[in-house]
Amino acid sequence: MISPPLAGERSTIVSHPILELRHISKSFGMTAAMADVSIAILPGQVHAIVGENGAGKSTLIKILTGVHQPDEGEMLVDGKQMQIRSTEDAQKHGIAAIFQEPMVFPDLDVAENIFISHHNLGLVMNWATQYQHANEIIARLGITLDPRRLANGLTLAEQQTVEIARALSLNVRALIMDEPTASLSAHEVDRLVQIVEALKMRGVAVIYISHRLEEIFRIADTVTVMRDGKHISTKPISQVTQQGMVRDMVGRSINHFSMKVAANAHGEKILSVRNLTRDGVFSDVSFDLHIGEVLCFAGLIGSRRTDVGLALFGVEPATSGYIEVARQPVTIDSPQSALKYLIAYVSEDRRKFGLALNMPIFANISLPSLKKLLRLFGLIDRKAEIAMAESHRERLSIRTPNVTIDVGKLSGGNQQKVMLAKWLETEPRILIFDEPTRGIDIGAKTEVHNIIRELAIRGVAIIVISSDLPEVLMLADRVLVMREGRQMGIFDISEATQENIMALATGQTAAMSQ
Amino acid sequence: MLKIRAIVAFAAVLISSVSVTADVQKGGTANLVLLPKFLGILPFDQARRGAEEAHKELQNKGSLDYIGPTPENSVAGQIEMLTTATTQKKNVVMLSNNAGDQIAAAAEAAQAAGTKVVTWDSPIPSGKGETVFVAQVDFGSIGVVMADMAHSIMGGSGDFAILSATPDAANQNAWIAAMKETLKGDKYKNLKLVDTVYGDDQAEKSYNAALALVDKHKNMKLIMAPTSVGIVAASKALQDEKLCDKIKVSGLGVPAEMVSYTMNGCAPEFALWSFVDLGYLTYYTSYALATSAIKGNIGDEVNAGRMGKFKIEADPGRKNTKRILMGPFTVYNKKNVEAAAK
Amino acid sequence: MNVLLRNFHPQTLRVITLAVVLLLVIVFFVSQIDNYFSPRTLNRIASSAAVILPIAIGQAIVVMTRNIDLSVGSLVGITAYVTGDILAYAPFGPFLTLFIALSIGALCGAFNGVLVAYGRVPSIIVTLGTLALFRTFLVEYSEARTITTDSLPKWVVELPQTTLFSVGVLEVRVMVIVALVAALIFSLALWKLRAARKFYAVGSNPDAAIMAGINSERVVFTAFVLSGMLAGLAGLIFLARFGNITVVAGLGFELKSIAAVVVGGVNIFGGSGTILGVVLGTLLVDTIDNSLIRWAIVSEFWREALLGILIMTAVAVDTFMARSYVQLRKLVA
Repeated sequence: MISPPLAGERSTIVSHPILELRHISKSFGMTAAMADVSIAILPGQVHAIVGENGAGKSTLIKILTGVHQPDEGEMLVDGKQMQIRSTEDAQKHGIAAIFQEPMVFPDLDVAENIFISHHNLGLVMNWATQYQHANEIIARLGITLDPRRLANGLTLAEQQTVEIARALSLNVRALIMDEPTASLSAHEVDRLVQIVEALKMRGVAVIYISHRLEEIFRIADTVTVMRDGKHISTKPISQVTQQGMVRDMVGRSINHFSMKVAANAHGEKILSVRNLTRDGVFSDVSFDLHIGEVLCFAGLIGSRRTDVGLALFGVEPATSGYIEVARQPVTIDSPQSALKYLIAYVSEDRRKFGLALNMPIFANISLPSLKKLLRLFGLIDRKAEIAMAESHRERLSIRTPNVTIDVGKLSGGNQQKVMLAKWLETEPRILIFDEPTRGIDIGAKTEVHNIIRELAIRGVAIIVISSDLPEVLMLADRVLVMREGRQMGIFDISEATQENIMALATGQTAAMSQ
Repeated sequence: MLKIRAIVAFAAVLISSVSVTADVQKGGTANLVLLPKFLGILPFDQARRGAEEAHKELQNKGSLDYIGPTPENSVAGQIEMLTTATTQKKNVVMLSNNAGDQIAAAAEAAQAAGTKVVTWDSPIPSGKGETVFVAQVDFGSIGVVMADMAHSIMGGSGDFAILSATPDAANQNAWIAAMKETLKGDKYKNLKLVDTVYGDDQAEKSYNAALALVDKHKNMKLIMAPTSVGIVAASKALQDEKLCDKIKVSGLGVPAEMVSYTMNGCAPEFALWSFVDLGYLTYYTSYALATSAIKGNIGDEVNAGRMGKFKIEADPGRKNTKRILMGPFTVYNKKNVEAAAK
Repeated sequence: MNVLLRNFHPQTLRVITLAVVLLLVIVFFVSQIDNYFSPRTLNRIASSAAVILPIAIGQAIVVMTRNIDLSVGSLVGITAYVTGDILAYAPFGPFLTLFIALSIGALCGAFNGVLVAYGRVPSIIVTLGTLALFRTFLVEYSEARTITTDSLPKWVVELPQTTLFSVGVLEVRVMVIVALVAALIFSLALWKLRAARKFYAVGSNPDAAIMAGINSERVVFTAFVLSGMLAGLAGLIFLARFGNITVVAGLGFELKSIAAVVVGGVNIFGGSGTILGVVLGTLLVDTIDNSLIRWAIVSEFWREALLGILIMTAVAVDTFMARSYVQLRKLVA
């Protein structure tokens, strides 16, 4: 008896995987970024890979494109074992990747951008032919784009198209798209979906990485879920539900993080924000913050949580909206004005915003509070400055032989504590933390969590921006969820679960109501 | 007792300000540094030869260093090297100043630390930090010689222009001023100075400036270039443009560089002093100062070997400064230039 | 308007602006200076620009790759002097001499290139170092001698006056043609040669260049070798034109070349620029420089200042145009 092809299978031809990963593992130092991952990529299919931040997706991309080499396991291209040592190697095997930030040459025109990677087109350029070929490739993607235009004037979406065309011109067989829609408008996303369809028709395998679950249901044939560097599941899209996918992504049992600190009896309202908007970045964010409360901003990368934080600190001020501090309407248009209202911001990017790495610890701590140290003739009281740093060293247990060594020599966790000390010295009423535990080890992480809770108990109102859901659930009294610059909702901690936060963050409000 | 002491002290003060004539003692110890504007060009190398000749003659047990900056780093390099010589406790730095008054602070610091600064070729304009300036020729007489050369080349009448070094070069400006003074004389009443341009002592700028003069002044008969770079560049420019029949070049130049232009008539006459002698005299002066044979006061006399005796006098060109005048200079023409070029 | 703007390369606009400015400058000087507009004036400016043009072309290529070559002035000095010295001992013919000059330049350029491209030292540091290093080498090598016209072969001495052909009263000199041929070759190469397009790519987006499989080390290295080679060519022209070479030869040419390049519309941040623009930029800078000497109203000190103002204006216009181009594009799109 011959069984008919299964419904939903698109191809009647038995297709062999273009690309196969078998038991791939990769560690960076002590952290395992990928552990025993096996995936097969079939031609003419869109294979979505989903997971939380830090699930190992970017490591996977880097291994596929030859940026990193796996520690263990093997890779097969067309069934043959291959090693991909460089981007050129990957290109030779027909593997290409496009990223959120397109890699184009702004000073070159579209056609040249497409053909720049062709190193065997002969010595002399034939511009006319090149334009003609560019037109053909662009036509294959089913779009219109003038090949004579400079990349400089193109929109992000158009630049992406140029990159896809470049890959196509190199006879790409497996195209990795990493969050390609993160900065696109709805209309542009539609067009990208069209292009992906066109690629599928040509037998190209697309490895599609996105946080937007609705897109995945629209576009993917197969979904692989990763979590903590592990391969959780690979299923045809027809067998996946949104809740199931979210559960797979979040994974850990909630009990594991049940050491919830009892919510404080909140004091009075210290910060009130209404319809806070920065044009083109985020809009209509409204919330209240009370003394002794920890409010967490949850959401995915690109949800613009950090931008709200930066607006409240005046680095990139809001363009409209209303802010009230201690029941007084205020305007925050610079960090100076924020500091005036005793708002401080502990940044995620320690190097860029937070610390002068080649200056000693004490100088970093005293920087925003030098006024307190000024003595006769405006001279700085160095003794008091060191004493100030020493008191923080004890209180926050900053591990360092003394406070005169350069901050750059400390570990990440200790740098974070120095930055915290620096802002604590300004005696803030409102303290904004952006990813306070990113890139620091577990031990230091717990310490930072304890410090944050302790500060709250001592009456500081705290906002924590975090992508780490267990952290959010552990620290927060309330959770504000954002998605693509919009506030999706606020949970009281008693109602918040990883699933419902994730559902809001990925835009699956429908899933919630079921 | 007290009285006697006071008299002795008074006498000492007197002596220190009174001029001395002393033969320099051979075989003394003086650590000297010869610091030209920059390294690598002929006149400064000739000065070095003169200094080395004197060094041997005097059997100096100390050292003679010839150090200098590279051309692109001249000003900053000179100041740095003067300061270094000071920290090395050298006795005298012989400086051909290219840094204007910018070097005055370093020179004053050197004097304070016991390192004397003797300038040659080009002085410190304000004279600050400078012990004495060994002047190649009297600036006034340069004016006369240039006016005379112009007079003889142009046959007593006509338009001419000046191609100088930089607009703020102290010595060139002084020479030009002296020449203008001379031109007021009756003998020169038919000579007309129509323009002054600058070539920054660089070949291509001087060359272009010379051509601009040609274009600008139809009746110009002579370009007077009181700079060794400018005079060569102007000669080459006129030769290239085949204008040597109409317009001549004169000024101050090095025979070895000028010989072909003098022989072919582009630059029939030019003048220069001997840089070898200038180095020699500067060395004798510095050695005498270092071995305390002289104090450097006005009226002090230096017995400079083969060149004879020279007296320190007030510099007429600069207020409150002192100079030793070398002079005279040689006018070169077809008859003597080939011999001097060798 | 839409279509026009769409297909209008910003560099085209730049070149047209430059040509207009050059014309205006000439008209201005014609009105100010008697007997200004003559074949002679044109000859003067052309001959003077011929020395700078090769260096400016080399500098342009280096700047396109997001680098800078400050050592070109010292390189002109070395090649002019050393080539002159060799000719004094062995009076070679023009072609062998050209080969020698280019080789000396290329060798020094390769030294810069290795340090910048493979040693990953910022070009401003490397070439600031070699600016002094090459000059010091020259000072040591020269032993304070002057290369004089007497020691040079006749063809070198006569080269500045050698006229290739005449158009009416306008004599076209060999050295001007040599410089223009160099400009033509590089202009064509940058337009048509696939390998040469990589200079733009590397400067336009270095990260993307690596992703596109371009060997950017080699591209940057080549840029410096070419810059050295062209400085060598300029050195030879310098030798022929001025005859008397001392260690100060070529002093300050790095700034002149950068001025010509920036005024000529090469983006100082890399990625764009045309040789036609560089030719016009060189002409403009040289015209202003040479004409101001003849303009009685302007004092010596102001000439330098005016050149500085011109460079700043050029950069400001460049930035402004780049910005408005993108904005215009957005409006039209």
